Amino acid sequence: MNQTIDTDRRLSQLMRAAQGGNGVAYVALLREAAPLVRQAVRRRRSFLQPQDIEDLVQNTLLALHSVRATYDPARPFLPWLMAIARNQIAEGARRHARRHAHEVTVECLPETSDPAAVNVEGGGAADLLIKSIRMLPPGQRHAIEMLKLREMSLREASAVSGTSIAALKVAVHRGLKTLRELLRASA
Amino acid sequence: MSKDTNDLVGRLALQLRPVRRLPSPRLRAATWLALSASYLALFVLAHRLSGAPLAQSIDTRFVVEELATLATAGLAAFAAFCCVVPGYSRRIALLPLPALFLWVASLGANCIADWPRLGVAAGQLTPEPACIPVAMLAGVLPAVAMVMMLRRGAPLYPRATVALGALAVAALTNAALPLFHLGDVSIMVLVWDLGLIALLSALAGWAGPRILNWRRIVVA
Repeated sequence: MNQTIDTDRRLSQLMRAAQGGNGVAYVALLREAAPLVRQAVRRRRSFLQPQDIEDLVQNTLLALHSVRATYDPARPFLPWLMAIARNQIAEGARRHARRHAHEVTVECLPETSDPAAVNVEGGGAADLLIKSIRMLPPGQRHAIEMLKLREMSLREASAVSGTSIAALKVAVHRGLKTLRELLRASA
Repeated sequence: MSKDTNDLVGRLALQLRPVRRLPSPRLRAATWLALSASYLALFVLAHRLSGAPLAQSIDTRFVVEELATLATAGLAAFAAFCCVVPGYSRRIALLPLPALFLWVASLGANCIADWPRLGVAAGQLTPEPACIPVAMLAGVLPAVAMVMMLRRGAPLYPRATVALGALAVAALTNAALPLFHLGDVSIMVLVWDLGLIALLSALAGWAGPRILNWRRIVVA
């Protein structure tokens, strides 16, 4: 109990300093907050893979960053942090539900009627796709890799790459267009 | 801590800038009320300068109704501003309910009281045509101010927050309306005003996630 109070007091002081622009205090705060958030995510979503848990931790840190002005040092810090974490966990569940609403699970993939005519032999299509992706300009290639191959959300991709969400949207749109042209040219 | 999370911490710290702390919800609600009340006072002033008498006779019934309406506005605004600060209980959203109940009850009581005095006219349900544009114009600044102030907070419960904001705006506008607009009979106020407030709050709640959302963060 006393340890929680001490932690709260310390984090509150760090946050107060971070609100004033103290980067060292901010790093210390985020480093101490991240395990607490991870623990909360694990407790609420024990079935998640470690990478998904880490995504939620990162989203919570990003959300904390964007609303750090709402923290009032006169109030305890941990309930403030946990409210953001709970919100991000719920947002994550909503995102997951939205993504899965557009997916259909099939046990057996339907066979094509004329394998010789339709299928490309020996994984050639995959090779061709990989080669075509490598030929894309760097910005478009990174956007395709992050959003389409690694299935990152726009926010996650933005956080990792340091590119704005709008720029990512444009890059992925242009990347797909270029990719289509490259594949058409090689067919 | 994973490498990615560690990197993220470093990047967030690199782009850290000092921020102006958000004032307490109580102070923000008071600021919004003062700003909106000043704007609405201009309508009353314009009405008086045009030489028109006060649109509503001041009696006990009117005072009770006005106090209940103002209390609804103030409590709804306070609850809305609490909802954008992490750490407050979600139950704070229920705070304006007693005042809202008192407001509806006072309107209901006025309806019953109006009946013997006005007869069939007390049951009229058609508002004056000029009423709706005036009410909308009166609500513009309080609504814009409310949205701007709410957007500075955390969008934890956008639907409830925006619905509470809409309730505050509608209640405050309703409190001012009888002072510069010819009084309607209570049943009309009950059906139209409360009906519109319920509709507006529901629409605002529906649009909540579009109005309040997590700001996009670009990490350098």
